[in-house]
Amino acid sequence: MRASSPYRANLLGLAFMTPAMVLLLGFFFLPVVLTSVFAFTNMSTATGISGGSYVVTGNLLRSLTDEGLDAKTIDALGQSSYVIDQAGLEKARAAGVDAKFIAEIAERLKDRSFTSSSAFERELKTLPSRPTRIRDLKIAAGAFEQSVLNVRYASRGEMEAALSHMLENPPEGAIEKIATASYTGWTWTTDNFKNLAIAPDTWRIIGNTVFYVVLTLAFNVFVGLFLAITTFYLPPAGSGFFSVLWLLPRITPVVLYAVMWKWFTWEDGFVFNIAQDLGLPAFNYMKGSVASAWTVVILVNGFVGASFGMILFSGALKAILVQQLWASEVDGASRWQQIRYIILPQMRWPILFVTSYQTLSLLSSYEQIWLTTNGGPGSTTTIWALEAFKTALNNYTGNLQYGLGAAMALVLVAVGLVLSIVYLRLFRFDEMMSKPKIEF
Amino acid sequence: MQISIRNFTKTFDTTTVIDDMNLTIRDGEMLALLGPSGCGKSTTLFTISGIHRMDKGQLMFGDRDVSGLPSQKRNVGVVFQNYALYPHMNVFENIAFPLTVRKDAKADIDREVRAIAALTHISELLERRPGQLSGGQQQRVALARALVRKPDVLLLDEPLANLDAKLRLEMRSEIRRIQLETGITAVLVTHDQVEAMSMCDRIAIMKKGEIVQIDTPADMYSNPRTSFVAGFLGNPPISFLSGIAMDSAFSIAPIKLRVPLGSRQGIADGTQLKLGIRPEHFGPEGDIAVQGRIAFAETQGRENLYDVALADGSVLRSIQPAGKIWAVGEPVRWHIDSKSVFVFTDDGQRL
Ligand SMILES: Nc1ncnc2c1ncn2[C@@H]1O[C@H](COP(=O)(O)OP(=O)(O)OP(=O)(O)O)[C@@H](O)[C@H]1O
Ligand SMILES: [Mg+2]
Repeated sequence: MRASSPYRANLLGLAFMTPAMVLLLGFFFLPVVLTSVFAFTNMSTATGISGGSYVVTGNLLRSLTDEGLDAKTIDALGQSSYVIDQAGLEKARAAGVDAKFIAEIAERLKDRSFTSSSAFERELKTLPSRPTRIRDLKIAAGAFEQSVLNVRYASRGEMEAALSHMLENPPEGAIEKIATASYTGWTWTTDNFKNLAIAPDTWRIIGNTVFYVVLTLAFNVFVGLFLAITTFYLPPAGSGFFSVLWLLPRITPVVLYAVMWKWFTWEDGFVFNIAQDLGLPAFNYMKGSVASAWTVVILVNGFVGASFGMILFSGALKAILVQQLWASEVDGASRWQQIRYIILPQMRWPILFVTSYQTLSLLSSYEQIWLTTNGGPGSTTTIWALEAFKTALNNYTGNLQYGLGAAMALVLVAVGLVLSIVYLRLFRFDEMMSKPKIEF
Repeated sequence: MQISIRNFTKTFDTTTVIDDMNLTIRDGEMLALLGPSGCGKSTTLFTISGIHRMDKGQLMFGDRDVSGLPSQKRNVGVVFQNYALYPHMNVFENIAFPLTVRKDAKADIDREVRAIAALTHISELLERRPGQLSGGQQQRVALARALVRKPDVLLLDEPLANLDAKLRLEMRSEIRRIQLETGITAVLVTHDQVEAMSMCDRIAIMKKGEIVQIDTPADMYSNPRTSFVAGFLGNPPISFLSGIAMDSAFSIAPIKLRVPLGSRQGIADGTQLKLGIRPEHFGPEGDIAVQGRIAFAETQGRENLYDVALADGSVLRSIQPAGKIWAVGEPVRWHIDSKSVFVFTDDGQRL
């Protein structure tokens, strides 16, 4: 009996872990895996998320020129040619061209080809059964037109066949290159990361993000602690009122909260009018200057986090036995020493929790900024998460770059993981979590 | 330093816990506050230390009025009922705390802490956290922390409650020795009358926020002012009989018991009375015979304890030296020592 008990304990532990594992898998690993998959593609609105086809477009020709494809090939791709072959004859018949005329074409011009429509049309006009109306002639000529431009091919093979048909003596590898470039669906690529690494905006946005997270976090923790401790020392009646007051940013719906800040900081808003009355500079503080925009962004997010911190810190404070506070007072500790030596050390765990939780949620949250400054003026208050959101999901140009956005999100996930590990080390989390208090 | 509490009233919300209390603790004296649970002992202690403020009244340390002084400035050492050690500090840091906040030099702190730790026998525990100590060890840490800065007043809220019997005896004399050596004025709150009687110069017995009697242990025992005090001191406790005054004697007619009231004169016949008889004053020897039957017997080693049921159902306790043993159920005719009995009115006042 006794020998089997450690084994049973392990099974029990496993059973306890199962819900956590399922949740972890569903809500953490799965999104991360999907993000990672997307991050290594060039998916966008243009490519769609299912497969694509092969088309040579005018745009493609331009970008191929930029990539150094020789002018002759480009030119040839842009050209149409007229080839009198069986397929052309069928097409003409289907287009309702006079059967006699078709027979004449087949007889006299079979297997010839023309490089321009005018030459071909001139040749057609010499035939006895030619249509009298020029429009009918053009329809007949059109049936024999061959061009790759703007023609959709379902497979790579068809595109390559068409290309080799079109191009005489193409340069080495040109056909493969054009075929690859002409693919309209998404492909696997690491370009997202390469582009991020070299884009000049990247470092600016990183700078913005660090600035935003550090300042907002500091505001969260310090104001949260300050509020918790002051309400802790206030008489119960007052502290209840204050707690509710500070909770407002947390419990107000995000949109309403953002609107309140607009009302507060915009032209003719609350602060605007006060500043005007005092003769201070009055303008749209939310968007009017970089400094005021940052102030607004940090305060908007800061108060939400501060009230979150306050709830946690207040709870932790109430858990400290009042006798300890009494003891510290008779031991001669001033109010400040009491906070410094008795209260704060026992708040280590909630402070760690708020710091790490808030770092991660600040890194990944953009909605308040989106709803207030929207990253402006210019892109001065644009942070990484907002940029990722805009790139992937909310873009004015209409081309949503899912792949690039996912790559940006993946960077956030990686940073978040690294930070979590650093925090756990820093606060010696393992020491706090060490042994289970209840022995099996 | 003499401590005097004058006209002290304390109210929590709407309940008055202590009403108009007067108490003087003499310089260098060790006073026990003894009383049942909830009678206001801790409240009194917290008021002396400044944790609770007085709603009415005055507190004097010597001739200094400290009523309005915060606890930080009173220089009192307190050992709390639940120790109130700081869980995030180790034992050394706990004891050093009063010196640390006073910003003493590191070397001094180290010396003082080690000295007091040696005195309280916890030198080998200095690195531990409170969570890793037994209840008794925690209590000694709390005592060391209270003593380390040489307070003017030492307040102990049941400091020995969690110690084993041997350690309790040891700590009793240890605390008393330290108190006598330092000449510190001390108040000891306790439930344990033996502790109060053995450690303290005087005992104050409290009941429902009032001090019923304050006296030396010996006087308190031999001369209780009320039946409550008489009932509180003494182990095994005193037993009471109810009867009436009749012809200058306490009388219970149905069992024909008559105990002369002696010098207590002027009690009208028919007055309801209570007679208090300590167990050592009832036994085979004595002058007033009572017929009864052994209802309960307990062997305590050196002594035996008996409950004797009288014919009317009332019970008298007796303590007898080991030797002859009476069996439960055995009828006995024992005697009350009438010179040593206490007579109380029906509401408990001593006559
Ligand atoms: N903060 C408080 N609020 C309300 N009532 C209180 C408060 N503190 C104590 N009391 C009440 O005051 C009375 C005296 O309490 P106190 O702690 O002084 O008792 P005590 O004599 O120390 O009892 P014990 O021996 O059980 O420790 C009790 O009835 C208690 O319920
Ligand atoms: Mg108490």
